[in-house]
Amino acid sequence: MKKQNVRTLSLILCMFSYLLVGAAVFDALESESESSRRRILEQKRSEMKKKYRFSEDDYREIERVVLQAEPHRAGRQWKFAGSFYFAITVITTIGYGHAAPGTDAGKVFCMFYAVLGIPLTLVMFQSLGERMNTFVRYLLRKVKQCLGFRHTEVSMENMVLVGFLSCIGTLCVGAAAFSHFEGWSFFHAYYYCFITLTTIGFGDFVALQKKEDLQEKTPYVAFSFMYILVGLTVIGAFLNLVVLRFLTMNTEDERRDAQERASLKRDRGLLDGTLGLHEGTSRTNLIASPVEDLGSLCSCVCYRLGICDSPLMSHSEHLGCHINSVYYNSISYRIQGCSPSSRDNTGLSSPGSTLSPGHSFREFPRFRRKSV
Amino acid sequence: MKRQNVRTLALIICTFTYLIVGAAIFDVLESQKETTQRKELDKRKGELLKTYNLSADNFNELEKVVLQLKPHKGGVQWKFAGSFYFAITVITTIGYGHAAPSTDGGKVFCMLYALLGIPLTLVMFQSLGERINTFVRYLLHRLKKCLGMRRTEVSMVNMVIIGLISCMTTLCVGALAFSHFEGWSFFHAYYYCFITLTTIGFGDYVALQKDEALQKKPEYVAFSFIYILTGLTVIGAFLNLVVLRFMTMNAEDEKRDAEQRALLARNGQAGGHHHSASRGLRNVYAEVLHFQSMCSCLWYKSREKLQYSIPMIIPRDLSTSDHHSGISSVSTGLHSINTYRGLNKRRISI
Repeated sequence: MKKQNVRTLSLILCMFSYLLVGAAVFDALESESESSRRRILEQKRSEMKKKYRFSEDDYREIERVVLQAEPHRAGRQWKFAGSFYFAITVITTIGYGHAAPGTDAGKVFCMFYAVLGIPLTLVMFQSLGERMNTFVRYLLRKVKQCLGFRHTEVSMENMVLVGFLSCIGTLCVGAAAFSHFEGWSFFHAYYYCFITLTTIGFGDFVALQKKEDLQEKTPYVAFSFMYILVGLTVIGAFLNLVVLRFLTMNTEDERRDAQERASLKRDRGLLDGTLGLHEGTSRTNLIASPVEDLGSLCSCVCYRLGICDSPLMSHSEHLGCHINSVYYNSISYRIQGCSPSSRDNTGLSSPGSTLSPGHSFREFPRFRRKSV
Repeated sequence: MKRQNVRTLALIICTFTYLIVGAAIFDVLESQKETTQRKELDKRKGELLKTYNLSADNFNELEKVVLQLKPHKGGVQWKFAGSFYFAITVITTIGYGHAAPSTDGGKVFCMLYALLGIPLTLVMFQSLGERINTFVRYLLHRLKKCLGMRRTEVSMVNMVIIGLISCMTTLCVGALAFSHFEGWSFFHAYYYCFITLTTIGFGDYVALQKDEALQKKPEYVAFSFIYILTGLTVIGAFLNLVVLRFMTMNAEDEKRDAEQRALLARNGQAGGHHHSASRGLRNVYAEVLHFQSMCSCLWYKSREKLQYSIPMIIPRDLSTSDHHSGISSVSTGLHSINTYRGLNKRRISI
């Protein structure tokens, strides 16, 4: 079976096992306390009903009033500050639920708002996270130079360590701040920061919900918003460093397979001396248009540089990318051959141009690998 | 300024603007109802206090009990079915909050569970989503062949349309099912499905909380779990198709810059510290052009016609060329597109 299919199947199996194990452990941890708490509360409830002589309907009415009044206990939720807080919880997908749109129009707008806002936010956090990682890499290199290290290149392990420490640091700073301002224990504030910054957002702990904080304590409100956004950036940077490459694995494998199929075809074509400008309709692969190839050129370059970062890459994947260097040369040959008018102007004619990257990139990995 | 920095700054500004505009609109839509509802509830509370002769303290006590009983209203939450539901809401980051760990041990395990589970789930959904996209591409290709169309390649536009339709269908199917089983209106059930599948998960609407469904209706429970996981896969496939490429843009630009620096270093040229101001402007222009050319590239690709993406090459040239201004090479590059016969033909047809 194809590598992508094996990978996908094993991931599905992993996830299901993970869910089963998690469910069992949560059951063991929480069931007991749940049933005892429930018994106590129901007992209290029947005591109160007797004390105040409530009928069933009376109690239901009181219950309704109390539950509906719950979001109002924390003050105005939909003035500008509260709405901004809500908008943050929507586009970052935290979604506490401490305030949820009550009007149907609010619900409709919320859905449209999320459709555009969530991808925008995802891309923004990854973009900013990548910038942060690059800056940290630069700083770390300077630090290594100052401290007089022999090897001043920043390895992946360095970056992961720094990333991990920043995440813990962010969580602790938040825990300290919120435990002070909200009156929670340090542990509960840490739990709140963790649940918020992973965008789970249960809503069991929510900041800015003490009486009228949203309206009155503006510096604290600003701090909370900044903390959430900066914290999400730090987590996003760590995810960008560690997880993002795995999200594109299947796509890159597909591209590589398509390139191999195409390069085998083209090698045959080159040998015949005919440069097929118009690909026949009998193509079997669906992705191998030259535009895609140039795009995959970029991804293969990244892939190859990625190989350098992870020395555990298999030998066959190495070979896969080496095969492509023949293909890249054929691309550059075709482009030089087909746009003679542009040759002198766009600088594509030089053999050392950026379009014959096969040679330069083969050297590049060697250069990088020494540092790892 | 480097292209990646321009892009990142623009995204930050966009997001903040988006937040501010959203906040203003939510304020307008919801503030009114909030004030009215609050007044009504206060009045009702006053009436209740008078009717049952309760003091404020009594009512507070009552209120506390009612609020603490709230999670229990939905039935037993931590038996296996409920825990499985909870585990799903953790690793998918939906996080309704209808049930949240009350013991400290539960909270600690929850954090550790999420630490490993969330990346696993992200990778799994993207992996499966990519497989689904590939399969759909294959099916569409076969379909086009069967229908005897001339061009049987599947374009990006085809894929996006199918992705959108599948997302809408998934939401509608869920809305129908949950409105039936939970007794919600179709609109509220649709809203629930949307909030769930985007992993926002407010918790204002939560399935499986009526009539002890978690313990008593195993088929409905199974359906809900499968629906959530399948729905997230469909949404994940769409995100994989449309959004994922943008998340790797900065990293790819960085790598390209690094390659170019290495190339220049090998060719014995200086790192290009001259013309820094014009280089900055050039890079902004290059970024705009790159965005434009990417859009047009996607457009051409959707017609499966663009043979040589010269626009994609130009931004590279701008950063490396020293012996002619980047802008002139851009215009020359564009002219070279115009002179290319094949593309000309396409332009006329478009």
